[in-house]
Amino acid sequence: MLSENGFFRLMAWTSPAFPIGSYVYSHGLEFAVEDGTVNSAAALRGWIETVLTRGGGRADAIHFCAAWRAVDAGDQEGFLEVARHAQAMRASSEMALESGAQGAAFLEAVAASWPVDGLDGWRGLLDGAEPPIKPAQSIAVALAAALADIPLREALFAYLQALAANLVSAGVRLVPLGQTQGQKVIAGLFECLEETVDEALAAEAAEWGNAAPLVDLMSMKHETQYTRLFRS
Amino acid sequence: MFDATLPSETSPPDGAAFLAFADADGDTRLTDLYQKTPLRVLFPDRLAGDPPTAALVTTSGGLVGGDRLDVQCHVDKGAKAFVVNQAAEKVYRSAGADVSIDVRLGVEAGGWLEYLPQETILFNGARLRRRTRIDHAAGGQFLAGEILVFGRRAHGEVLAHGMVHEIWEVRRDGVLAWTDVLHLDGDIAAVLKDPHAFRGAGAMATAVYSGSDLDDALETAREVLGACEANAMMAATIVNDLLIVRWLATDPFELRGAFGEFWAQFRHQIAGLPAQLPRLWHV
Repeated sequence: MLSENGFFRLMAWTSPAFPIGSYVYSHGLEFAVEDGTVNSAAALRGWIETVLTRGGGRADAIHFCAAWRAVDAGDQEGFLEVARHAQAMRASSEMALESGAQGAAFLEAVAASWPVDGLDGWRGLLDGAEPPIKPAQSIAVALAAALADIPLREALFAYLQALAANLVSAGVRLVPLGQTQGQKVIAGLFECLEETVDEALAAEAAEWGNAAPLVDLMSMKHETQYTRLFRS
Repeated sequence: MFDATLPSETSPPDGAAFLAFADADGDTRLTDLYQKTPLRVLFPDRLAGDPPTAALVTTSGGLVGGDRLDVQCHVDKGAKAFVVNQAAEKVYRSAGADVSIDVRLGVEAGGWLEYLPQETILFNGARLRRRTRIDHAAGGQFLAGEILVFGRRAHGEVLAHGMVHEIWEVRRDGVLAWTDVLHLDGDIAAVLKDPHAFRGAGAMATAVYSGSDLDDALETAREVLGACEANAMMAATIVNDLLIVRWLATDPFELRGAFGEFWAQFRHQIAGLPAQLPRLWHV
C-alpha cells in the first residue's frame, strides 16, 4: 500500500519541478511538428498515445516493472540485466541522451536531498559494471521507488503520467496550443495510461517489442533539424 | 525476458548454413562450411575488388509455419567476407506455427563482414520470429541489414494479421551494445495504418554498421541518404558507438531501391569497395 510518505516522495520525484531538466526533451516531437505530422491538439494526443502504447513509453514501462521487481527482490544480477537492456534499447542518439541524462540527474538529485536506504549500493552496482551502465530514466525512477517502498503500480503510473505531461508541455510550446487545450490532452490520456500500466504489469512473461518506427525516425531526423529548441 | 530464446536453440533447425572465414597470409579463406537443405550456400563470381562472396539460397522457395533456419557466419581476425541472400525470402500464411530464423554473425578485431539481405516478404497471416545477433570484438567492422515487406503489395495484399517478432542484438566484446525489438500481432492492419506508428508503410529496413571512424560514417550515411530521391523516410544516427540506419516507405520497391543505393555507396565511401552490389541483388 502507498504510505503517505511514499505518496509525498512520488509526487515530488515525478513533478516537473524535480531538477532533471525534462523540459528540454521532446522525444522527436519537435520534428513531428516541423514536418506537419503534429499540428493540432488531436494530433498531439494521437502521437502521445502511439508513444505510450507502441513506442518508447511502453518499453520504458516494461523496463520499469522489471527493474522495480528486481530491486524489491534484492536480485542484483536481474537488475543489472534489465538496466543494460534499457540502456541498449535506444532508437537514436537523442533518445539515448534524453533517457540517460535524466536518469543520471534523477539519481543525483535523490541521493543529494532525499534519504533512501540502500541507494548508494545499487548505484555502485551500475557504476561497477564493465563497462559502467548509464541507467535509463525508467531504471533510475524504478530503483528509487522500490527502495522507498512505493508500490509498483502507483510508481509506474506516476512515471508515465510525468512522461506524457512533459510531452504535452513540449507540444503546447511547439504546435503551439493553448494551456486549456494542453490540459484537455492530458485529461484525455487517462484510459491510455491505464492501459499501458496494465499491459506492462502483465508483460512479464509475454513477448513484447516496439511498433512505432515512425517515432524513431522523427527522432533521428531531429538531429539534423535546422532550428531546434529541444535536445531531443 | 531480456534474453530471448528461439526454438532453434532447443532443437535442431530444418535448414542451416554455417560459414567461417579466416585470414591466410593476406587472403581470406573459407575455413568452415556446413549446409543443410533447404538452405544452400553458393559462391558466385565476385566483382573485382569485392571480398570473398557467399550467397545464401533457400531452395524450398518459401517458408511455412514451423520452418526453422539457422545462419551463422564468423569472420576471424583480418579476414573479409560478403554474405548476400540470393533472392527475396517469402513467408507464407501460417495455420498457427511460427517460422524461426536465427542469424548469428561474428567478427573479430580487424575483420570485415557485410551481411546483405534481400527483402523478407510477409504474406498476410505470416508468423515470423527472427533474431539477428551480432557479436563483434572492438575493432571488428560489419555492415548488416534486414528488410521487411508487409504483404504482397503488388497483389494489393496487406499484412492484416499474423505475427512478427524481429529482434536485433549487437554485442561488443560480449556486452549488449544495442538492441531493438519489433513486435506486431493482433490487429496488425490497425498498427500499420496508425499515422504515428507506420503511416501506411509497406516496408521497413534497418542497417547497422560498426567501425572505428564513426563520426565520418554518420556524415557519409547522411550524405548518401540525402542524395537519394526515393519516396521513403530514411535517417541515420549513432547509438552506443554503432551507426543505425532506418528506412520506412509505402512502396516496398522504392524502399528496396533506396536501401541498395545506400549499401553500394556507403561501402564504397567507407571501405573503398566497389559502388555496386552483386548481380544477384539485381536479378
